[in-house]
Amino acid sequence: MSLDQKIINWARRKSPWIVHFNAGACNGCDIEVIDALTPRFDLERFGIMQKGTPRHGDILVVTGAVTMQTRDRLIRTYEQMPEPKFVVAIGACACTGGVFDGCYCVCGGVNEIIPVDAYIPGCAARPEAIIDAVVKLLSTIK
Amino acid sequence: MSIFYLLVFPGFLFLSALGLFMEYFDRKVYARMQNRVGPPWYQPLADIIKLVSKETIIPYDTNKKMFAALPVIALAAATTAIFYIPIWSSHALFSFTGDIIVVLYLLTIPTLTFFLAGWNSNSLFAGIGAVRNLTQLFSYEVPLYMGLLAPAFLASSWSLSEISQFYTTHPLLILLNIPAFIVCIIAVQGKLERVPFDIPDAETEIVAGSFTEYSGRYFAIFRMALDTELVVAATLLAAVFIPVFVANPFISFLIYLAKVFVIIFILAIFRSVMARIRMEQMVKFCWRYLAPLALAQIIINILIKGVLPL
Repeated sequence: MSLDQKIINWARRKSPWIVHFNAGACNGCDIEVIDALTPRFDLERFGIMQKGTPRHGDILVVTGAVTMQTRDRLIRTYEQMPEPKFVVAIGACACTGGVFDGCYCVCGGVNEIIPVDAYIPGCAARPEAIIDAVVKLLSTIK
Repeated sequence: MSIFYLLVFPGFLFLSALGLFMEYFDRKVYARMQNRVGPPWYQPLADIIKLVSKETIIPYDTNKKMFAALPVIALAAATTAIFYIPIWSSHALFSFTGDIIVVLYLLTIPTLTFFLAGWNSNSLFAGIGAVRNLTQLFSYEVPLYMGLLAPAFLASSWSLSEISQFYTTHPLLILLNIPAFIVCIIAVQGKLERVPFDIPDAETEIVAGSFTEYSGRYFAIFRMALDTELVVAATLLAAVFIPVFVANPFISFLIYLAKVFVIIFILAIFRSVMARIRMEQMVKFCWRYLAPLALAQIIINILIKGVLPL
């Protein structure tokens, strides 16, 4: 691997900016995502910052089972993010659809709509689990 | 030699390095005020490298040349302003009568490019951010100009180098300008769009303001321009309000770094103890309190100039 690629990979590991998208969650996982961003866990230690616009984001954090209402918006948000991009599904519903799987208005888990890089199970997923998953995802960038 | 000044010291390379370090310092102070650890020292550099290496998306119905040129213009204007400000001695690299006005205008150009960037992006959020940029410009710009011109009245010169020399020979007169210094600190906070005046890029209302559609390397250049503007504005305040220079240029340069640290520390404390205010609250505050205070400072300085034999 050349030196500039090494530097770029180092920068990508050290500066992941996340975009949070609620695809139809009950707000439980959303509150845990916000928890992980608070001063108690201090994700800025790892360079993680929350960004409002998908144009600045590196990691799309999706919570909740994808409903038919949010399906198109999720695809549009994903396509607006510049490459390279990653998707993290947080919570049992985002991973598989959870208890809402098979409901008349639910498309299923996030991986049926867009490619997912990391799954974090739990109802709701704990902030420690979210941080662990993001760190593990970043260690795969080589 | 001019190329060296422009690209290495005190131009692009030096300003970028100092700007990135000051962004780290600002974020670290902000984090410590919130009782957390904060980012490591290389964080702003990693952010910039990551943004440069990412894909750059230009929206479909924008003027593509303008979209690409605006960040560069912002960075160039902020970098150029440093040449007229005294750094390691009371003489700037270049100076002529009226360069304080040139520096202030050069520091206004980034704000105008933010407006044009938002307006050119053809996005609702960016459009609202752009309009807020301009509204905010009209509220903080007048107090900032008046606050910086008040010491110039006392020194009877509109050249930054001559102002610095005047206050080096009359050090006690610095104390007179403390109200103007307070006005300028608050106005610079508005100019750099930081809390409590981060109304143009309020991330809870209008996602990222003017920069909503910017990604990749153009956004990286905008961030560099903001960092550079932070350092240049702090340098300007240091040169006008804290003109402490010694004969040895190296020690003088260290004193300059200390002054910039102090000013950015004050700005960071402001940022961490306050919450965002609304647009009309900001306009009201700037025109009702800051502008009269700056005006009073000018009148006091003119009266003192008549009384004291200067």
